[in-house]
Amino acid sequence: MAALTSLTLLVASTLVPGVSGTGDAYADVRPIEIHNAPVATPSLAIRCGRVLTMNAGDTILDPGMLLVENGDITYVGAPIDVPAGFESIELDEAWVTPGFIDLHSHIHAGGWGDTNDMVMPTNHEFSTRPTIVAGNPNVRRACAAGVTTIFGIPGSGTSISGFGVLLKTKTESTYEGAVLADPGGMKVAQTHNPERRAGDIGATRAGLGWLLEEVNDRAVQARDTGSFDPALANLTRIHAGELPVLIHCAGNEGVASTVRMWKGRYDTRCAVSHGSFDGWYTADYVASMGVPVNHGPRTFNFNLGMKEGRIVGTSAAYVEAGVPLFSLNTDAPVIPQEELFLQGSVSVHHGADAYTMLKALTIHPARTFGIEDRVGSLEVGKDADLVIWTGDPLDPRTRAEVVVIDGEVQYQRTHDGQWF
Amino acid sequence: MKTMKKQLIGGALGLSLALSFAAPSLALLADDHEEDSYLAIVGGDIFAGTGEVLRGATLLSKNGKIEEIGYELILPDGCETVDAHGMRVYPGLVALSATTRLTQGTFAAGVEIHDFVPHEEHSEICGDCGKSFEEIVPPALDPGEFSTEHLATDAFRTDFDDSFDPFSGYMVMALGNGITTVQQSSAAVKLKRGDISGVSLSEKTLTSQSWSGSNPAGKADLREKFRLATEYLADYRRWEEAVKSDKELKEPSKKGIDGRILDILEGRTMARFSANERADLLGIARLAQQFKFRPVIQGCVEGWTVAEELGRAGAFAIVTPRTRRDRSETTTHEGGSSIENAAILTRAGVQVAVVPANTSIDMGGISGRDLLSLPLEAGFAIRGGMDERAALESITVVPARLLGIDHRVGTLEIGKDCDALITDGDLLHYQTFVQYTVVEGKLVYDKQEEVFYSHIRPRPEAAVDPGEEVSGEVESVEVEEIVEEESDEE
Amino acid sequence: MKMRNLLVGLACVLGTQAPLLAAPASPTPDLFALRVGRAETVSQGTIEHAVILIENGKIITIGQDLEIERGIRVIDRPDWVVTPGFVNCYSRAGMSSSGGSGTQPGVQASTELYPRQPIYGELLEAGVTTLGLYPPGNQIPGQAVVVSTAGDSRESMLVREGAYLKILMESNSKAKKTLRDGFEEADKHLEKVTEAREKHEKAKEKYDDELKKWKKYDDEEKAKKKEPVDPGDFVEPDPSDEAAAFLDLREGELSAMFSIRKAGDYLHLIDALGEEQISWSMRVPLRNDIDLYEVAEKLGADERQVVVEPRLTLMPWTARERNIPAELDRAGARVVFIPNGDDLGNQEKWRQHVGHLVKRGMDPQAALAAMTHEPAVLLGVDETVGSLGAGKEATMLFFDGDPFQASTNLKAVMHAGDFVEEASAQ
Repeated sequence: MAALTSLTLLVASTLVPGVSGTGDAYADVRPIEIHNAPVATPSLAIRCGRVLTMNAGDTILDPGMLLVENGDITYVGAPIDVPAGFESIELDEAWVTPGFIDLHSHIHAGGWGDTNDMVMPTNHEFSTRPTIVAGNPNVRRACAAGVTTIFGIPGSGTSISGFGVLLKTKTESTYEGAVLADPGGMKVAQTHNPERRAGDIGATRAGLGWLLEEVNDRAVQARDTGSFDPALANLTRIHAGELPVLIHCAGNEGVASTVRMWKGRYDTRCAVSHGSFDGWYTADYVASMGVPVNHGPRTFNFNLGMKEGRIVGTSAAYVEAGVPLFSLNTDAPVIPQEELFLQGSVSVHHGADAYTMLKALTIHPARTFGIEDRVGSLEVGKDADLVIWTGDPLDPRTRAEVVVIDGEVQYQRTHDGQWF
Repeated sequence: MKTMKKQLIGGALGLSLALSFAAPSLALLADDHEEDSYLAIVGGDIFAGTGEVLRGATLLSKNGKIEEIGYELILPDGCETVDAHGMRVYPGLVALSATTRLTQGTFAAGVEIHDFVPHEEHSEICGDCGKSFEEIVPPALDPGEFSTEHLATDAFRTDFDDSFDPFSGYMVMALGNGITTVQQSSAAVKLKRGDISGVSLSEKTLTSQSWSGSNPAGKADLREKFRLATEYLADYRRWEEAVKSDKELKEPSKKGIDGRILDILEGRTMARFSANERADLLGIARLAQQFKFRPVIQGCVEGWTVAEELGRAGAFAIVTPRTRRDRSETTTHEGGSSIENAAILTRAGVQVAVVPANTSIDMGGISGRDLLSLPLEAGFAIRGGMDERAALESITVVPARLLGIDHRVGTLEIGKDCDALITDGDLLHYQTFVQYTVVEGKLVYDKQEEVFYSHIRPRPEAAVDPGEEVSGEVESVEVEEIVEEESDEE
Repeated sequence: MKMRNLLVGLACVLGTQAPLLAAPASPTPDLFALRVGRAETVSQGTIEHAVILIENGKIITIGQDLEIERGIRVIDRPDWVVTPGFVNCYSRAGMSSSGGSGTQPGVQASTELYPRQPIYGELLEAGVTTLGLYPPGNQIPGQAVVVSTAGDSRESMLVREGAYLKILMESNSKAKKTLRDGFEEADKHLEKVTEAREKHEKAKEKYDDELKKWKKYDDEEKAKKKEPVDPGDFVEPDPSDEAAAFLDLREGELSAMFSIRKAGDYLHLIDALGEEQISWSMRVPLRNDIDLYEVAEKLGADERQVVVEPRLTLMPWTARERNIPAELDRAGARVVFIPNGDDLGNQEKWRQHVGHLVKRGMDPQAALAAMTHEPAVLLGVDETVGSLGAGKEATMLFFDGDPFQASTNLKAVMHAGDFVEEASAQ
């Protein structure tokens, strides 16, 4: 056992020189964190009528300009002269936003396939990596609708269905070219799906809770003792705070038990995903615990539980309760990936604020998963993932004219035709 | 009942002198009848659905019909008013293929009540049990297609007249989202709240016909039916002429002629096809041109690839602009879905009606895809290049035309049914709410009075005292064409 | 208004036929007086310190502090509150068959009546003194009958047949057609009668002619020919059961009770009735999410009798409580209560359930009427039961306080002048 551990350490440190501290011992032995090797991309100068930077200062430039070099943003601000050697894109009426991010998506495999491996109730060492079909039609359409980053995750058929991959929606790419982080984080299903009806453990919420705590306690022990167990390697990284965990849950008791377990008991970098139905009843508690909410595909609650008879806009309810990082998802293909923006539109219709919903599509999901140094806002040094729209991106009448990922134009309507 | 007083006439004449420069329309100096009921929608920007926009105008309804639209209208005494200042007024929306729960209510679970059933608490419908409302409360039975016998007997009376629930909560939700007329099977039904009289409107019916590449024999059969029916009609017309001179001539036999095809050819009904593939669409277009009828094509996903043909055939298309369908790998033609479908079809002269992907009402939390999302769906048509006016028509007058009821609904014009919605903004904008809905001159929905949406951005108190005499905003009397700016490609 | 005992002398000479008594009862004298703390008469309001003079099971007079002639036995209960016996107009107590679907308007629920079942005695002790028993089935299953729970034989129980024709009305073409068909059947019968009458008249004319001729014949001719036969007086053909019931409806000899289950059904019922002028009431099970309040005003304008349970409901899709019986009453409709269930337990708690609605704003007099007078009117037996007044049957309930208070006990039940439970009488 000791020999195996030291061997692993050796391999891990060889492959992942960037990982340090306690994380070393639990590092995945497989290749991770493949940063895209910068390739020669043209430098772009983009000048538009309105630039929504989504930065911490909520800077909106009317008009604004961006410079893109080697895949990164090198200038954001008032229009300046286009430097020599830059390709210029100039659209006076258009709006620019960061590419949208969906933390709950299943389109990486091209459809509904390969989402649930249902034999064991917890499958924490699985990964969606082998299922990825980069540049599949769903991904391409998503890109053409301004969605540039997705967290491609397994389903919710088991309590832990494995690890997902953060992918850019490049229209023609390979896994290696599109990956932003692998593993990007873990997927857990707390309630409302993993309930097992096969006669084994996990038929009740009590059984499901025990399944999760039993395996989490072992991972915590592994973390605290520094021992290495290949069956717990990635899960231990969750408990070391190295990776986030996205938790499928719904209903007030589901959301509350999620926050209680993953934040209260284990203090992980957890995010509530879905939080549907009357989950919003617990919004105050979620907010007080500082847990981000990644909401969708349901965005309203016709309040049959409380019988108030109201159409409650649940996005607004979470935001108003003070949830620190509120983001939106589609659970694609439950809602088609290209309609991520519409989750913002309908949330606004049902009472939420439009700018906050734009945050919920950009910087909030980025910060929820700790990838805000790369994506989620238009700031110097970040990946040049941006969308040029014909107007308000939340309006279905608006379309994406140009989508840039890592500084490369992935989609240009006038060139490619209108994909969405 | 409210009555119009004689004194009004004098007042109106006096006012008209003072306002001669504004070309005021004098309302209603006629019938001082006890039963007359009036409702005025005052001061809104009226988007008539005909391309005209009247800013700050007033629409007056008399006994459910639009009596007058204009400025400086003199309102009869006792005229109910809806203050629409700062708001917009649109024709009521016409929703095709709507779920029957809209018109048959939520309380009609099929329980027998002949024996006394001690009240069991029906299982609480929980927000967190993962079930949608639809799963918990079984929908009322869909009566399905019914024969046209009903229509023949009693002035368009249909089964929907007898099963209409004028208090259906779903209907209130539909009214709250601007829908005032729905298609149920082949009937058009007016969403009259609290009233069951005259809810069926259809004069024409839709007759489903099948045309599919996967059934070549069926295609041949249908073509043969059309051929025989056309021949019969020609024979019949010849006979009609000839019989004038020779009374002994025998009328041509109807044997072997499909009566429904005759109905289609003679315009009593419209043929509805459900078709999406290019080849099928072309086949239908050619069939229609050959036998001279106007087809209604539901789906029409690849219509954009054969739009000109469909336009020449005078087709109606019922489309969902957001539909996704990948191009078939087995064909070299263009194909698959296109967000530009609705726009391309419209430009080719096809009458395009828009329906959302889901024509039921989703109470489970998924928003923006169900029947209540008609304006959003029309927004997707605009995204694909349709102009704003055609998009508005695609959810109002085009579906009305398709159902043969455009003489009553679909636009705001004098003489038509007063079915109107009053919104707090551009109907096609995602934030906009319907504030009031009027059906046949009766206020049937007020957002602040219903539980559903009253808590979301509550409407401020009415700025104008409804009792106060209303005068038009004289400076804006011009009629504008809706020209929405579109930011185009570079 | 103080009344004098003017009638007491007269009362003594009235007929002395004793009513048929049933169940364990404690006989009272032929003539006696009751002195109670308060009488809720329903028809004349509340009478404090009421004196009720009863002879041979009937109330002779009732009034405040009436003087009682010497020698008349007085039962003095100054703490008691007296009300009329409760009338449950919509029950299947003691009946077990289940109905199908069909139109049998001629059927009487009495065909299912089996006396001497414990439930009737139990109901009597619980204060339910009169029952309307209805036939089971959808569409038009037949006619309800009125029984007294005090009887111990078919004859002593059965008060009235043909109390109401039960008709299911729903929002669909079939139910509406069933109703229209019933009236059409009646029309057809009338046509048939007209035809038969015409035919008879012709036959009569022919007979008269032939008889004239016959009379002129001589004997020889008479022997050869047949003597004409007198067609006799005209006899109306019998109507079918269905036609008969609908004719009775039109003529006001029978009333209808329409069962509906949502507000919309009411409008369809009005539509289906069209121009027909009949007497009818409406039964609406108060489901939790019933929308009946939508038509409360219309029902009020018609002063319609509406048969409901004493239940609070919720506005559909909300937690907003509605007291529909109170709303109906305020709108002017006539509420008729039935217990929340047909089991003994619900009938025993009936007044408490009604009391709950009273606490939530329903007028207590209307609430009491809805358990007594209104159902008696509905059943067509309000001449004898359902209120306390001269000439009414002395069938009443004695409470030790406000009957709508949960803490109040039913102390005694009197049926036609006799106490049902001996212990409480003394």
